[in-house]
Amino acid sequence: MSSPFAINGGACVAMVGKDCVAIACDLRLGLQSLTVSNNFPKIFSYGDVYLGLTGLATDVSTVSDLFRFKVNMYRLREERQISPQTMANLVSTSLYEKRFGPYFVSPVIAGINHTTGKPFICGFDSIGCIDFAKDFIVSGTASDQLFGTCEGLWEPDLEPDDLFETISQALLNAVDRDALSGWGAHVYIIEKDKVTKRLLKGRQD
Amino acid sequence: MNHLPQAWGRPRDDVYGPYDASYLQSGHPQTHTKSPIVTGTSVLAVKFQDGVVIAADNLASYGSLARFTDVKRLRPFNSKCIVGFGGDVSDMQYLDRLLNSLDVVENYSSEGHSLNAKNLHTYLSKVMYKRRSEINPLWNQMLVAGLDGDDKPFLSSIDLLGTTFSSPTLATGFGAHLAQPLLRKVADDESKVAGVTKERAIEAVKECMKVLFYRDARSLDRYSIAIITKEGGVELKEDEQLEGQSWAFAETIRGYGRTQEV
Amino acid sequence: MDSLLGSNPTLASNPAYSFSKAPYNSAADNKEHAFYPYTDNGGSTLGITGEDFCIIAGDTRSTSGYSINTRYSPKVFRIGGDDETGEGAHIILSVVGFAADGTALKERLNAIVKMYKYQHGKKISVKACAQRLATILYGKRFFPYYVTAILGGLDEDGKGALYSYDPVGSYEREQCRAAGAAASLIMPFLDNQVNYKNQYLPGTGEGHDLEPRQALPLPRHDVEQLVRDAFTSATERHIEVGDGLQMLVMTKNGIEELYHPLKRD
Repeated sequence: MSSPFAINGGACVAMVGKDCVAIACDLRLGLQSLTVSNNFPKIFSYGDVYLGLTGLATDVSTVSDLFRFKVNMYRLREERQISPQTMANLVSTSLYEKRFGPYFVSPVIAGINHTTGKPFICGFDSIGCIDFAKDFIVSGTASDQLFGTCEGLWEPDLEPDDLFETISQALLNAVDRDALSGWGAHVYIIEKDKVTKRLLKGRQD
Repeated sequence: MNHLPQAWGRPRDDVYGPYDASYLQSGHPQTHTKSPIVTGTSVLAVKFQDGVVIAADNLASYGSLARFTDVKRLRPFNSKCIVGFGGDVSDMQYLDRLLNSLDVVENYSSEGHSLNAKNLHTYLSKVMYKRRSEINPLWNQMLVAGLDGDDKPFLSSIDLLGTTFSSPTLATGFGAHLAQPLLRKVADDESKVAGVTKERAIEAVKECMKVLFYRDARSLDRYSIAIITKEGGVELKEDEQLEGQSWAFAETIRGYGRTQEV
Repeated sequence: MDSLLGSNPTLASNPAYSFSKAPYNSAADNKEHAFYPYTDNGGSTLGITGEDFCIIAGDTRSTSGYSINTRYSPKVFRIGGDDETGEGAHIILSVVGFAADGTALKERLNAIVKMYKYQHGKKISVKACAQRLATILYGKRFFPYYVTAILGGLDEDGKGALYSYDPVGSYEREQCRAAGAAASLIMPFLDNQVNYKNQYLPGTGEGHDLEPRQALPLPRHDVEQLVRDAFTSATERHIEVGDGLQMLVMTKNGIEELYHPLKRD
């Protein structure tokens, strides 16, 4: 159990709904079995695009800062917001630059493309291979559990409120079966003209 | 790929990391089989509407050396079943002696019936599981072919760990990777067996033996084949030659050693 | 001196030992074992109880590595039946992990349950059978049966009973349990859908004042549907799960067997 991906723990999940997407993460930060913080969000916003990062906490911070810099530079040069698709390629190429000394993170992207109005989610491995999923993306130490709950609960074309309930139940029940994740959650419901962020208390043990 | 007998019974590389083979060079006398020496490769078998076809080539390899080219790996039992052996040949000969003595004992017993393929399979699985539990395995994987108590086609597998399973088509060793997918086209389900004729089953097995000879470096073009039916009993042919080979495809292979036109 | 003491380095270099067999440093001398007596045959099992029934299910795929051994190798068995078919059995057992150990364990428990009936003139209770199974597993504490077992039946009051085990016999009575390769996928789904974990009654308060939704025993139809959903989901995301779903349903009328095809890819 010395995989860099499993030292700090954490979980993240994104889902597609009808004209909306959702992304959620837990709040735990740990050192092996010792919990150090219960307020360590793993979702970062870059304009209209949301990036979830699980894995080694130091890399989560580094990579989130790196993309804040890169996306700011993009916005200054292009004078427009970055689209989720462009962000996906940016993440992919940035991670592959470190092919032989990777950041130990498993990123997840969620957002709505404002040109097409279509929801978009995707996930990556730590060296930038993109997984374009039509349904949901999971990552972190509770990914097995998340696969189970998402595969069991998710259905196509969920309305924002139903999508919120689905992603929340999927995350909460998954992290309750993972010793390294949990201690509260952040859930973002992203619609065309509105983003709702909710804090879930969850089990505190 | 884990078809080589040398890889059987080892912890999986993808789970436990690369295997430490250093113990193999130990100078101390060995009392347990730690690795197979002279080995046989695949055994194939298919059930059909009123019986089973089983085949194996006649080669016993010593590592990569084709050491013995006339070894019968299909062993008949009480003229009603066939056991096809893959893996260590000395362990095969031991098991064959064991089965022959069992047959003698059974023939002397006053019970009115003889052992069928299902009974034989149960017996072999207990022998194999006992030996693995003593950490002294018999390094084989076997297919038992014949008829069960109701004279229905019976086909089942046993390996050195005592693992048993049954299926309309079975293949051991390299055949599990190369032949089994082809055989499953003939009968992928128990319900399909009733629709498979004897001729179709024999054709499929022979075709697979050919494919294996093309691609399995530890195989031979001389083989044994047996057909077990209620009516015909066991028809065992032990010196067959692979027919209809075509090496035309070899010309089209690029890469590895063959990178340019000669 | 060397010839007398043979090749034992501890004896040869240390004359303080007067006995012939000096303790030797096992850490240095011992090599990793040549033959590994276990393998993993994959697959998953699942058990759920209701008010007056108990369901144990398992997929029927058997694997070794990336190969499929067979598409039909049952993991759920009748225990204590009168004949080979299991007719008359009153206990069900599922085993997942190393299939050869699973078969051996099943046959041992079956023999013991039968002997109990012959010796005591009555069927063993599920509670007693559960304790006995724990003893069998612990009996091989230092060379374990590499299996996760789930035992089911009806208790003395006719209520559904389910016991789950680890490979060395630690056990517990539960309402529901998933085991095997896809246990980590199925278990949180069951927590949510059977025990209603993380579900609260709307409008009963704010935050921790919210009232949890009480878990009630589910009707048989709902449980069967949940089991099918759990396995189709697991089949979708786990390569070792698939081919077929075998379900044994234990009620006061005996044991019913159900089979549903699963994806074979």
